[in-house]
Amino acid sequence: MSDYTIIGKRMPRVDSRAKVMGKAKFTADLKLPGMLVGKIKRSPYAHARILNIDTSKAEALPGVKAVVTGKDTEGVKWGVFAYTRDQQFIQIEKVRYIGDEVAGVAAVDKETALKALDLIEVTYEELPAVFDPMEAMASETDLIHEDFPNNINIHVNIDTGNVDENFAKAHYIREDTYVAPEESYFQAEPYAVVARFDHEDCLEVWMPNGGPHMKSKPLSNAFKIPLHKVKVRKIAIGGAFGGRSEICPVDYICALLAKKTKRPVRIQFTREENTIGTRQGHAMITTHKTGVDKKGRVLARETTCYMDGGAYSSTGPIATSVPFLSMEQAYRMESVRYNGYRIYTNKPIRGMIRTHGRGFACGLDTQLDMIADHLGIDPVEMRLRNSRQPGEYTSTKSYVDSCAMDETIHKAVEKSGFKKKWGKLPPYHGIGIGTNSVQTGFPMGIRGGSQSFIKFNEDGEATVMSGVVDNGQGNDNMLIQIAAEELGLLPEDIHLVSADTETTSSDPGSYSQVSTFVGGHAVKIAAQNCREKLFKVASKVLKVEPDKLAAKNRLIFIKDDPEKSIPIRKVVRISLLNFNSVNAEGGYWPRVDMKREWVKNPYGQMCEAFSFGTTIVEVKVDPDTGQVKVLEATAAQDVGYALNPLVLEGQFEGSIAMGGQGGMLTEYHEWKDGRCINPTMLDYKLPLACDMPPKINNIIVESVDPKGPYGAKEAGMSIAMSAAQGYSAAVSNAIGVYMDSFPLTPDKILAAIKKKNHK
Amino acid sequence: MEKIEITLNINDKPCEVRVFPNDTLLEVLRDELDLTGSKESCGEGVCGSCTVHMDEKPVRACLTLAMEATGTRIKTVEGLANGDDLSDLQQSFIDHGAVQCGFCTPGMLMSADALLNENPKPDEKTVRMALAGNICRCTGYAKIVEAVGHAGNPQDHCPDCKTKE
Ligand code: FES
Ligand code: FES
Repeated sequence: MSDYTIIGKRMPRVDSRAKVMGKAKFTADLKLPGMLVGKIKRSPYAHARILNIDTSKAEALPGVKAVVTGKDTEGVKWGVFAYTRDQQFIQIEKVRYIGDEVAGVAAVDKETALKALDLIEVTYEELPAVFDPMEAMASETDLIHEDFPNNINIHVNIDTGNVDENFAKAHYIREDTYVAPEESYFQAEPYAVVARFDHEDCLEVWMPNGGPHMKSKPLSNAFKIPLHKVKVRKIAIGGAFGGRSEICPVDYICALLAKKTKRPVRIQFTREENTIGTRQGHAMITTHKTGVDKKGRVLARETTCYMDGGAYSSTGPIATSVPFLSMEQAYRMESVRYNGYRIYTNKPIRGMIRTHGRGFACGLDTQLDMIADHLGIDPVEMRLRNSRQPGEYTSTKSYVDSCAMDETIHKAVEKSGFKKKWGKLPPYHGIGIGTNSVQTGFPMGIRGGSQSFIKFNEDGEATVMSGVVDNGQGNDNMLIQIAAEELGLLPEDIHLVSADTETTSSDPGSYSQVSTFVGGHAVKIAAQNCREKLFKVASKVLKVEPDKLAAKNRLIFIKDDPEKSIPIRKVVRISLLNFNSVNAEGGYWPRVDMKREWVKNPYGQMCEAFSFGTTIVEVKVDPDTGQVKVLEATAAQDVGYALNPLVLEGQFEGSIAMGGQGGMLTEYHEWKDGRCINPTMLDYKLPLACDMPPKINNIIVESVDPKGPYGAKEAGMSIAMSAAQGYSAAVSNAIGVYMDSFPLTPDKILAAIKKKNHK
Repeated sequence: MEKIEITLNINDKPCEVRVFPNDTLLEVLRDELDLTGSKESCGEGVCGSCTVHMDEKPVRACLTLAMEATGTRIKTVEGLANGDDLSDLQQSFIDHGAVQCGFCTPGMLMSADALLNENPKPDEKTVRMALAGNICRCTGYAKIVEAVGHAGNPQDHCPDCKTKE
């Protein structure tokens, strides 16, 4: 169907060359003249009052250039929403988790900075700490935040349809509880920040981020300086996975040290700090109660989820909602009641992660399989009877336009041989299916849209400016593909200026899966506007109406007579000589319901498009060791339209690794009195090349969304989620026990097998 | 502690540096010689992102003292290409989409390069084992494994292999 030249092609990424040569610069690679080393002093207590901080000895140490504490701050508190501003960048009164920031140091080298940290004397008065969300919720005193009774940070309540009536009508009802502990991002690049104030007192700052404009605004608030004085710069980023979208106290502390010393400062996290001092995934306890009719169609569902939010709000309201939203998008339910509680505990802060709500989603799918089992329906049929269809509304009243959920199921089933294998595999050999959906965008108010500028240079090449950030997923290449396609240039003719808050307009960032749909769209529109200007000039030379023209391979030509053409370079020069500008702008704002609010009004259009994914997994379990060997994974996603299949496949495969292999088999945190005991790569088990299934089948399904650029939606997220579900279903199927505690580590698998054999 | 002057042979060039006896090779490469291609992801020998060659063998630069490297030949990711000419392996990484965020890439390339020097046509299992000391959080490894297997060894069935002219 496509007559695109560059879009839809397997195009190797433009940013790869610098990366394979070791030339790409990440934040920790930056060196600025006079740069100091910054380090953070962190709380050793999970909950304590700060009685006194004495920095005099540290300040007296030769080589120490500045020490900052909460007293040096403007007292501004951070929170994503006005009602969640609960985190000071450096604590003054109280610390709330082991790792909370109490001071920062800048010194001439690392050794001196570390020595200075030891010389800062903090006197604490320990307070009772609470690490279990259910206990925290029962607490009336010693609250973690005084103004949040029972330590309840966020409560999201959604109630649609006649839940109680429908339960009364249901043919079969089940209620089950599922649990999963915290997981972490483990981005390859440990967090790092470089900051300096320039000669115009502008703050210039580099750090891995999920959206530079989401960093610049809070920094401008915190320093009480205008937004244009905060220049978040572009830098290569070693992964985000949802964990680097918000401001992090260290961004502020690094800038504060730079301000105080009048020198550039670099803070580089250790691996442990990256785990403790940024964000983690939430631990969740989820109870699903589901009532179905005789055919297995869901009539009523009631879900209650308790999320361990850690010490501060972070993206709390969003995090409390998204696991539910993903499931209400994936599956139809006639009526549903959801109560999500995000609870403060004295543990590190939890945010959004690529497989946010793994226990929630795996629980829901496990329960569907149990119900199907009871009714004598196979899991595929069970999903097809409940799967989302195009043209419907979700329970919270989002219209779903394009949707090829069923096609992803059918294609994955066929490719994996599910029907032939289901129920016929030998003992300890299983197959399972998971389906999921993610949203392409969140309602983000004035930051919901993206704008792009394009300028032609006199040599006929173009510079594209966009606020979109590339965390490693390939957004830079995506923007260049779009611009080259629309302008009729080659990718190498496009210079991209992106992710820099000085030169680019506001953009929602990458963390709501919206880079292509919104940011890419803005570039497409800007490029079309620019092309229109060129066509106007070219039409005079070629003596046809502009609408008879097309552009490709650096030429503008007559569609019906392609031999008649003129080089774009020439058109640019003619334009300039005739006083015509060859610049253009374009923007895209998704039409979402601006009245929708996460807590107060969780109803209305959430975003313009949703992606849908199915993952089928085949495993063998060793009944003596509990080890799981994954034989094959098949991932099918409705991406809308594949802008670059090569990049898409990489997203699918990475999603299988993070959501399935790691997320469902090995990844979780362990704790002792609020201290994370496996914060490093040595103790936290990430999947390796030799662990991965030897075969991953990627199936790209295209529903061509009417609003997405070229019909595109998002790439890979609904695979990450459905992979977790597919893995858990396959293991449950292999051992003949429906598992309710994730991830499925060998000890749990062995215990389940043992219990089953005892019956 | 006193700094000591040593000479390292890096990417076939002699480099004189002053180091502390406890400086790691990674610190010296990155901080003293500005060879920041080698990355630090874990700093404790687990992730492989700091992998360099010492006398053709892959080693973890974060666990190697700079002093130990005297008298050896060190090769870093910056030494893989011949000027602007990429090695087959580097080109294969690009063509097969084996690079996402790129933070693990230098270490992956160095481990894979050492493998290919010993075994130019490794099978898939061998590649996976040779890369088992390199953690990649982005790719799920499939494209990396393919890129290594097809480097300088283009496969007809592969849509991403560019047959070399
Ligand atoms: S940084 Fe050397 S192995 Fe991880
Ligand atoms: S490409 Fe990001 S860690 Fe490997």
